[in-house]
Amino acid sequence: MQLALDATLDAKMTNVQAPARSGSELDDIDALVRNYRPRLLRFVAFSIGDPDLAESITQDCFLKAWNGRANFRGDCSVNTWLTGIALNLVRDQQRLQKFRFWRQARATAIDVTDAATFLASGESSPEARILAREQAEQVTAALETLSPNQRTIFLMRFAEDMNLAEIAEAIHMPINTVKTHLHRALKAVRAYAAAAGAAR
Amino acid sequence: MNSTMHLTDDQIDEYLMGDLSAEATAHLDACNPCLTRVAEVEQPLASFRAVSLAWSERRSATLPLQEFAPVRPRWTRRFVWGATAAAALVIGIVVPTLHAPAATETNVAVAAVAPAPVAPVVQVAHISREEQIARDNQMLQAIDRELNASVESPAALGLPVDGRSRGHNRSTMQD
Repeated sequence: MQLALDATLDAKMTNVQAPARSGSELDDIDALVRNYRPRLLRFVAFSIGDPDLAESITQDCFLKAWNGRANFRGDCSVNTWLTGIALNLVRDQQRLQKFRFWRQARATAIDVTDAATFLASGESSPEARILAREQAEQVTAALETLSPNQRTIFLMRFAEDMNLAEIAEAIHMPINTVKTHLHRALKAVRAYAAAAGAAR
Repeated sequence: MNSTMHLTDDQIDEYLMGDLSAEATAHLDACNPCLTRVAEVEQPLASFRAVSLAWSERRSATLPLQEFAPVRPRWTRRFVWGATAAAALVIGIVVPTLHAPAATETNVAVAAVAPAPVAPVVQVAHISREEQIARDNQMLQAIDRELNASVESPAALGLPVDGRSRGHNRSTMQD
């Protein structure tokens, strides 16, 4: 039953309308991985809070994309299409480990503390990088307080830069519901930013 | 909306979602306090985007590319193994005949005594030994080509990447 449901979800993401492929980008698996893995890994890792598991899910995502590449119709970006496949895999994982997100995954939690040091140094001062790190930590902390749906929708909008219609289609929700989730997510971000500002 | 009224938090959210009304957008364009409030939320989001991407790029760079060698669909793998099995069967039929150029009485007698021959004797007496070897080599090369054409990556079949696939290593028959 679960497999059937998963197959349906995958079919919705990959078997949609007439194939009108936008190019051979999907045929070069190495280039596809090189170009999209960092973003997909980020989406999955910050969705589930476990970077090790995220690597495995990201790999599965590329395998699914490769096997279903003939069904990519080209009416959205490759990144949006890949994000939709990753979303289904994340949801599968959420079903398997319903209550083991974020707090339980802390042992291997994402550590963005030193990630800011890898920002391009030519583009920002050390002070700006420290500020960026603090702000990223605030948003990451805010993400922990969100429901899985709110977190996923937040990442789709503010990490993957998908518009409301794309998110609504990918997550199979009305646009107004997507907006409600985003309002709640932004409220949390605003609250953490305000708390950090008050603490300074 | 009154153009003198500042944006609410919900309207700032809508701006960040890309869903702000034209009237509110016009107000925002001309209102510094509202722009500052937008920046207070927008800046942490931009930092999160940049830092999280730096994190994932760094992490992704440590992962090997070849782990993503595509897995062939099951039917294709079945086809390849089926073709290999068929090739092995053909070789099993043809090779014994090379060692028995003609169905002589001795061979027939041996066959009668030997336990369960695996294949019927093929009439090849009229073909010379060299010609038969050449034909076998052609057949093996054709099988190689078929296998190579249908398998894009040795890793797809779970074979070691360094050692080349078995299809690549198959040498032509010398005798």
